[in-house]
Amino acid sequence: MTNKYYEFFCPVKVIAGKAALEHIPYELTGMAAKRPMIVTDKGVRAAGLLDPVISACEESGLEIVSIYDDVPPDSSTGVVRDIAGIYRAEKCDSIIAVGGGSAIDTAKAVNILVSEGGDDIAAYSGAGVLKHPLKPFFVVPTTAGTGSEVTAVAVIADTEKHVKLPFTSSFLLPNAAIIDPRMTLTLPPHITAATGMDAMTHAIEAFTCMAKNPLSDAYATAAIKKISTSLLSVMENPKDADGRLELAQASTMAGIAFSNSMVGLVHALGHATGAICQLPHGLCMSLYLPYVLEYNIESIREPLGELLLYLDGPDVYAATPAARRAEASISTIRRMRDALYKHCQLPRTLKETGKVVEAQLDQIAELALDDGAIMFNPKEVTREDAREVLRRAWA
Amino acid sequence: MLAKRIQPMAFQARRLYVELMFQVMGRALQAVSEVDETVQQEAIALPEGFLFEMMVMPNGSNLIVEHTGNGRFHYHGSTAPRPVDLSIQFKHIAHAFMVLSFQEKTSVAFANDRMLVDGDISYAIRMTRVLNRLEAFILPKLIAKRAVKEYPANLHLPEKLISAARIYLKVATNFVETVRA
Repeated sequence: MTNKYYEFFCPVKVIAGKAALEHIPYELTGMAAKRPMIVTDKGVRAAGLLDPVISACEESGLEIVSIYDDVPPDSSTGVVRDIAGIYRAEKCDSIIAVGGGSAIDTAKAVNILVSEGGDDIAAYSGAGVLKHPLKPFFVVPTTAGTGSEVTAVAVIADTEKHVKLPFTSSFLLPNAAIIDPRMTLTLPPHITAATGMDAMTHAIEAFTCMAKNPLSDAYATAAIKKISTSLLSVMENPKDADGRLELAQASTMAGIAFSNSMVGLVHALGHATGAICQLPHGLCMSLYLPYVLEYNIESIREPLGELLLYLDGPDVYAATPAARRAEASISTIRRMRDALYKHCQLPRTLKETGKVVEAQLDQIAELALDDGAIMFNPKEVTREDAREVLRRAWA
Repeated sequence: MLAKRIQPMAFQARRLYVELMFQVMGRALQAVSEVDETVQQEAIALPEGFLFEMMVMPNGSNLIVEHTGNGRFHYHGSTAPRPVDLSIQFKHIAHAFMVLSFQEKTSVAFANDRMLVDGDISYAIRMTRVLNRLEAFILPKLIAKRAVKEYPANLHLPEKLISAARIYLKVATNFVETVRA
């Protein structure tokens, strides 16, 4: 009898493509929601990304009752409490998150408070605390990287206790994710590059780490193929709406993959580096990816070699001997990073970031060892292993 | 027919095995924290008075240990003196049995969603490293390799034998003291 076992779950309706935003009114009314609140940040509003969402709703006679546009990059319990207060005062009945990871996580946490009651979001922290479905909740991602629109997790900072509160429940998943190419068309080059590599890392770690499964594999490989094909062409031609849509879809697919199979050491190091050196998450992913793959290579030779097909196409895959495909996959990723560096100086080493000093490496290693993602890395990572990977990533 | 009669006995045996293993592991956690410096270094990062629980959902067997400071654990049996800080919960006794009979590695059990973590994930990762270290000491290498993701390359036979002997002695002493009390 097989020892294999896996779980896979994604009930999020994906609404993707041209004029996708215009489906929001129909989808909301289908859930008997008439008074939506938008949760977003100042950058999204300033970029004019709210306009098509609002006009899509207004054209169908659906009024956006309230707009909260002050979500900070690292959202806190106080922000969540304030937004929930506005939601209640305005008698809203649904939430539309428009933005990146922070706006989406904040909206998830607001949805907990307005659905479950109370003002203390910390009371709902942890896994499996929520027992009931929440209010109608839609997500419109404005970056193509985090995959937060299909993950059952939110992280909110408790600024009084100086801890990050994790929330995990399938009820946090939105009812629908609306992927519209208009939302990512104006992303600046360095954010396009970093978020694209974030999605790439989600997919590659989903495919090579311990909880990989046939369904997450299918999403991961499809996402890798889309990113490999479209990321550099979008960097060349940022107004390429088709390429933008490909990247946005890839991000969602990579999100579905990694939320069902988890991630590994790249994320553990990235989370630690982000916390200590305040480097953006996507940048950390791009930076560490090849070094961690090299470290893991003997444990992941087969799946990593298989990825060459999706990273570099069938011709290269067929021309590369099976025993060399894992190394060839890493080389392809390195070439992609070099091209991105040429386009927008996306750092390839810690030294190139200019924000990390060598003396911080031990501290990063220490913090990474306690990160949840490390559990799913295919190799057991010791303190010395983490330090060695960091030393290689330094310069 | 025979299988139907035997099944309740098999379930009972499995329950007893898991219960016994929790008792051994709880005592062994206390013992290894008195014997091994690496475990002490891991444990010292936990807050003093930190209560760790491993249990079978919903109200099955469990073990509770407390970090009493300086990297030392104290085994509380199955009753916590106050609400626990971290709980690793097997979803079903069958899953606990697979892990505790070394048919499934702890890391694989996490990856397979056999267990839930209620509490700070970073402490759960730390406690898993402690459990791995304990298993590497007290189990024969062949079995330990089935229990942990990677058997520690720097754990050599003399150190393993001496530490295992000290841990088993302490576990046995603790069992005797419990019976006497």
